[in-house]
Amino acid sequence: MKTIESESNPFFDALMDAAVDAIIIIDGKGIIWRFNKSAQRLFEYDEDEVVGQNVTVLMPEPHRHRHDEYLVNYQETGKAAIIGKGREENGRRKSGEVFPMRLSVGETHVDQQVFYVGIIHDLSRRKSTEEKLRALEQQLFHADRLLTLGEMTAGIAHEINQPLTAIAAYADAASHLLDKNTETTDSALHDICTRIGEQTRRAAAVVLHLRELVRRGASKKALQSIINIIKNTMLLFDYEIKKHNIVIQIVSPNNLPDVYVNEIQIQQILVNLVKNSIDAIVGEGRNQGRIVLEIEELKGELRLSVSDDGPGVSVEALPRLFEPFYTSKSNGVGLGLSICKNIATAHGGSLAYSPSCEGACFILSLPLSSIG
Amino acid sequence: MRNSKQLIVGIIDDDEAIRESLHLLLFSADLPCQVYASADEFLSRTDAHEFSCLLLDIRMPGTDGLELFRILQHENAPYPVLFITGHGDIPLAVSAIKQGAFDFLTKPFKRGELLEKVKSAITHCENQRTQLQSRHELKQRVDSCTPRERDVMQLMVRGLTSKSIADNLAISPRTVEIHRAHVMEKMQAASLPALVQMLTQLRSFPDEKDGESH
Repeated sequence: MKTIESESNPFFDALMDAAVDAIIIIDGKGIIWRFNKSAQRLFEYDEDEVVGQNVTVLMPEPHRHRHDEYLVNYQETGKAAIIGKGREENGRRKSGEVFPMRLSVGETHVDQQVFYVGIIHDLSRRKSTEEKLRALEQQLFHADRLLTLGEMTAGIAHEINQPLTAIAAYADAASHLLDKNTETTDSALHDICTRIGEQTRRAAAVVLHLRELVRRGASKKALQSIINIIKNTMLLFDYEIKKHNIVIQIVSPNNLPDVYVNEIQIQQILVNLVKNSIDAIVGEGRNQGRIVLEIEELKGELRLSVSDDGPGVSVEALPRLFEPFYTSKSNGVGLGLSICKNIATAHGGSLAYSPSCEGACFILSLPLSSIG
Repeated sequence: MRNSKQLIVGIIDDDEAIRESLHLLLFSADLPCQVYASADEFLSRTDAHEFSCLLLDIRMPGTDGLELFRILQHENAPYPVLFITGHGDIPLAVSAIKQGAFDFLTKPFKRGELLEKVKSAITHCENQRTQLQSRHELKQRVDSCTPRERDVMQLMVRGLTSKSIADNLAISPRTVEIHRAHVMEKMQAASLPALVQMLTQLRSFPDEKDGESH
C-alpha cells in the first residue's frame, strides 16, 4: 500500500498537528490514512489503532453499516450527499460514547487515486449549552403556567365542585329512592348511576387537564386539532366568564387541518391571551363583554385571532408589549406575553398585536407544515 | 298542602347536572319541582305553575340570579327565593339575604340541610299565602260595604256609641243602627271585638299596596 507519509512534508504535518478540529483522510474504500492529533483526542483512538481501519469504526448506526454504500453510490453517480455542504452528525468514540459534531468533507486525487478529507468540529459543548437553555426556558414556561393557574384557582375549584355537587345529590336521591322502595323502577336507578358516572368523568377531565398544565418539563409536539385545544382551554374560564357576564365566541371553518404543536404550550398562550382580555374588560368596571376566537387557514398557516371589546392596548404600552417584565397590571409580573411570543417562535410561528381592531386583538400564526 | 292548587318548587340553574340532580333529590323527598335552564327561560315560561319557593343559581350567563331576584321583588312574587352558591360566592349570597332573599344553599348540598331549608321556605310561603288569602277576603268584605256603611264602621271600631256616630255623621241614631247591622253582617263579624281584630289584620299586613294578591 502506498502511504501518504512517504509523500508528506513538514508543513503538511505542522498543519495537521496545529488544527484544533479533527482531520481524517480516507481513501475511496473508506480506509483511514491519516488521523491528526485532535482526531485522536476527540475519538480517543491512537493514530496506529485506526490507520488502515475502515472509517466506519468512528460512526454510530445507521451510518456505520451504510457508509461503504454511500462511497460506492457517490463514485458511481457523482451525487454528493455531504461533500461541499457539511452537516451535523454524530461521532462514536472508542468507548462507544456518541457525541454531536459538525462534519465537512472535501475530495482530492493523488496519483489517480481518490481521497476524502474530513474536518470534524466537536459540538458537545454547544449542544449541552443549548440543552441547558432549553431546560431553563421550559422552567420559565412552567413557572408562568403555575402563576396563571394560581390566579385561576377560584374558577378551577368551581369547575370541579359542580360535578361533585351533582354526584352527591344524585347519590343522596338514589339512596332515598331505595329506602322508600315505592314506584322506584330499576331503570330510574340505572339512569341515576349513569349520570353519576358522567359527572365523575367530568370532574376527572378537569383534574387531568390541570395535571397536564402543571406538569413540569416539555411534553412532545404532536398533531392536534386546534379547536379541541381551544375548547379544552375555555373550560377553565367557565366560572370567570359567568361571573363577569362575558361571552366567548369561537369562529372556525369546518375541516381545519391539524397542527403540529405542543398542546400544553398552545393552551398556555390561549390562557394568557383570554385572561388578559377578561382582565381588560373587568378592569373597565364593566359587567359584560365579548371575546372572539377566530381561526382561519391562510397560505400554509393557521391563524388564530383573539379579540375583545375591552379598551385595547394603550399607545404608550404598545412598543413594549412583548418585553419581559413590562406590565400594565398592578399585580402583574410582565412575563405572560413575552413567554407566549417565545412559545410561538419555538413553534416556527409568531404572535403579534393587531391595532386594527376596536378592542385588543392578538394574532397567533402557526405553520401547517412544521412537522419535524 | 292546604291550598287547592298544587305549589311546586322552581329550580333555575344553567348547569344541567346541578338542576337535574337537585330535581331528583327533591323528588326523592316527595317535593314536586320544575326546572329552568336560565333566568330568561323562567321569565318567558308559558306553564301555569305556581311556586312554593325558588332555588336560584346566583351566577348564570345572561340574566344572572341576583338580577332575576330583583325583577321578582319588583313584581312582588309571592314566594321565597333560596340562592344556590359556591363557597366563593358566600359574601354575595349574604348581601342577597340582606336584600330580602330567604336563605342560601352552598354546593355541594347536604341533603338534610337542603330539605330543611326548602321545607321552611315552603312553610313560609304557605303562611304568607294564607295571610294573603284572608286579607284578600277581608278586603272583599270591606269592599262590599257602601261608603256610608264604611264611615259607620270606622267610627264603630273607634268605640263610639250609636248616638255619637249619629252626631258625627249628622244622621239619625236609627239609621246608624241599620248600618251597624249591615256592617256586622257583611263583615261576617260575630262581635265588635271580632270586627276590630279584622280591621287591625287588614291594616297591619306588611304590604299595604293594592293589586299584589292573586
